[in-house]
Amino acid sequence: MESDNQQQRAHIFSRRFSLNKFLEISTTFVLRFFTYLIIVLAGYLFWDIAYKGSKVIFISEAPFINVQFLTEKPQTLHVFEPVDIDSQLKAAKADILSKSIQRKALSNSNIEEANAYTLAIKELNEEIKLLDIQRKERRLLFSDSEFRNLSETPSDDDYVYNTYAYSGGGIGPAIIGTTLLVFGSILIALTLGVLCAIYLSEYSRPGKVLQSIRLSILNLSGVPSIVFGLFGFGLFVLYLDWGVSLIAGWFTLALMALPVIITASEESMRAIPKGFREGSLALGATKWTCIRTNVLPYAMPGILTSSIMGIARVAGETAPIMFTAAFALRDRLPWEGLEQSTDFFFQGVMALPYHIYVVSSKIPQNEYTQSMQYGTAFVFLLIVGMFALSSIILRVKVRKKYDW
Amino acid sequence: MNVNFDIQEKQAQPTKPPKPVIKTKDLDFAYGDSQALFNISMDIFKKEVTAFIGPSGCGKSTLLRCFNRMNDLINSANIKKGTIRISDIDIYNKDVDVIELRKHVGMVFQKSNPFPKSIYENIAYGMRIQGVKKRSELDETVESSLRGAALWDEVKDRLNKSALGLSGGQQQRLCIARTLAVKPKIILMDEPCSALDPVATAKVEELIHKLKKNYTIVVVTHNMQQAARVSDRTAFFYLGRLVEYETTEQIFMNPKNSKTEAYVSGRFG
Amino acid sequence: MKRYFHKELTELENKLILLGEKSHQVVQLAVEGLIENNLDKVNEAYKMDDYVDVLEMEISHACIRYMSLRGPVSSDLRLLVVALKASKDFERIADEAHSIAQKSYRLLTTEGSLKNTLNLSEMGKLVCELVNDSISCFVKEDIDKAFLILKRDHEIDAINQKHFDILSNEAFRDEMSDAARFDLMLISKSIERIGDHAKNIAGGVIFLLNGDQ
Repeated sequence: MESDNQQQRAHIFSRRFSLNKFLEISTTFVLRFFTYLIIVLAGYLFWDIAYKGSKVIFISEAPFINVQFLTEKPQTLHVFEPVDIDSQLKAAKADILSKSIQRKALSNSNIEEANAYTLAIKELNEEIKLLDIQRKERRLLFSDSEFRNLSETPSDDDYVYNTYAYSGGGIGPAIIGTTLLVFGSILIALTLGVLCAIYLSEYSRPGKVLQSIRLSILNLSGVPSIVFGLFGFGLFVLYLDWGVSLIAGWFTLALMALPVIITASEESMRAIPKGFREGSLALGATKWTCIRTNVLPYAMPGILTSSIMGIARVAGETAPIMFTAAFALRDRLPWEGLEQSTDFFFQGVMALPYHIYVVSSKIPQNEYTQSMQYGTAFVFLLIVGMFALSSIILRVKVRKKYDW
Repeated sequence: MNVNFDIQEKQAQPTKPPKPVIKTKDLDFAYGDSQALFNISMDIFKKEVTAFIGPSGCGKSTLLRCFNRMNDLINSANIKKGTIRISDIDIYNKDVDVIELRKHVGMVFQKSNPFPKSIYENIAYGMRIQGVKKRSELDETVESSLRGAALWDEVKDRLNKSALGLSGGQQQRLCIARTLAVKPKIILMDEPCSALDPVATAKVEELIHKLKKNYTIVVVTHNMQQAARVSDRTAFFYLGRLVEYETTEQIFMNPKNSKTEAYVSGRFG
Repeated sequence: MKRYFHKELTELENKLILLGEKSHQVVQLAVEGLIENNLDKVNEAYKMDDYVDVLEMEISHACIRYMSLRGPVSSDLRLLVVALKASKDFERIADEAHSIAQKSYRLLTTEGSLKNTLNLSEMGKLVCELVNDSISCFVKEDIDKAFLILKRDHEIDAINQKHFDILSNEAFRDEMSDAARFDLMLISKSIERIGDHAKNIAGGVIFLLNGDQ
């Protein structure tokens, strides 16, 4: 009976151990581990921004969205904190400081006394936490405009008064500025990129020249963004004398997105079956007719989706617009106070990435600027995500429509 | 013999000498440095089906594409020597408009390549790019072309549906109809059935047989049976040379060249 | 789906039937001419053989052409093989009839008229029927009739045997010359051969219809 069993077990397909199989399993595990690690890290990043940012954007009362933050201009934040709590907090903090110094001064032998200090510091910390909650409940926050409209300012006796630049109001102009920059540069980059790609993929003769052109276009995408910024600054802002302006920003961003767009467009056009071209040419179409009627329409969705992604990525760059298009603060919206219609193109705008940069790097950090940073980052993330999503939806829809 | 029968009559009938439409003379053709065709001289006759057979890379497709200058699309391709005359016009002359030539010499490709448009638009495409806008004229041509390609009855109810919804054989016949719409005199077919199942192939072959009445047709095919079935004349190519060009009966029943014999009997290589 | 070249197959079939009818006609003319002492009929039979030969060649050419160009299989291929064989048989039938006519002509011209026709008239009628039936079983695709033909051939064989016995008998020597007796013997033999060919054709029809060898 047992021998029967064994014979059954030892058939030619029975499982047996081998080094290869072990390697196979362990490789799978290693690969899986690193993949999940990356997902976890990226997830943490997004979650952090989303969690902290959503505190700013979403509010507990209707309409649940902080419209003020999304529409208003950046303003200085005026903060009034209750005097009594402030002084209590200060006292407690000073106490902690002195106690920790005293504890450090103790020698190692005196463990009991050190423990007592540690306990006291702990208690004080608890107290500070409670006070902080009270402070947050009782403090008064005003943006610039609100502050100016106040009938009477809270009295100095009751409140400690502080101001924080850029921390009040909202990021409306930055959202508008970024949107303008993105759409403008899409327009310019698509036009230039598609024309260039048509020539490269359809008309040019393959050879060394074409090879080197392709290579240089590819290399262009490796140029650091700050170099693009400086180039744009040198050419558009200074040489062409456009000043720090939308149009200079458009061209700088467009230039930066060009390699992506040209490569993507060429790829899309090359993906159009040869038969479409031949079929059309064999019916007596000229080359341009053939491209216009039988290549571009089918390549366009692909070109658009890849290009939108490319530009959305480029639009997140701070460096190229830093010198060419972005203002740290501009309290006029782009369409306000124009003398001529052309002035629209020759004005600087605020932009979300630059705003984040300004708020994070130029101004001392504190709890009020932090909420502004996270809020802006979150909004920016949402906008970029929307672009990506729309391009994905477009791709899916178009793929369904044209399936050859 | 006092009895007269129809069989003898057929034999006695003097066959009209066929009229050559495409005259190729001493043609040498090369892609860059590699020569693809060597010294090809052949006449293709009016309203006949001529089949080109031969192993892959023997130059039959290349020659076919010379007839409507599709090879112009390949940069390094050029004719080194010799002429191709269609209706007594040297088609590689400088004053020849390729567009007009291609309208005269239509082409159907190996892979059926309907455009991802509606069936109607596929047929109308050739007219539209010539600037025909009148709806009635377009309608008329679409119908007559589809009828010509024996496809009208199958698709008349869904002219506005996508051509990609058709079966493989229907797509290929659509491509033939599309070519007919431009009103060519000569139709070149580059392995028109290589991607089709036997039934679809049979339909396309029937169509070729039908079109023979009004068009001169040149078919490149890998399928020798197909060449035997549809063609009046067969040319056998090998390594860029025309080995034998004769009536199909001659090629398949009693070829003169031993290479042809080996190829048609499957003993090649 | 009916293909355009299937027409060629139908044409071939028709030609084969025509050939069968022609050879049947030759046989009938030759035998009748002999029995009825009708030189005209004999002459006609003598001449018609050429036409049958041409027809046979055309059929075999058409068969080979169809096989080379159309790639036939199954029943189409069987039809072609049967057509090749049957046309050969019909041609041989006409040949035998031709030689019957030749011998009849000699007999009729040297002997004047034939007094004793033995059983040739019945034999001729039988063989004509047989040839006719072999054609009709092909046309009507009647396999039972074809099987029947195989059996009926034996009757002819028997009559032929009887003729041999009679003609080789001493008693018969006085009645006609040696040459005439030999001719009669050969005529009888030819008719018997015709029956054999008809049998072959019937065998071909059976193969065509059920595919069995």
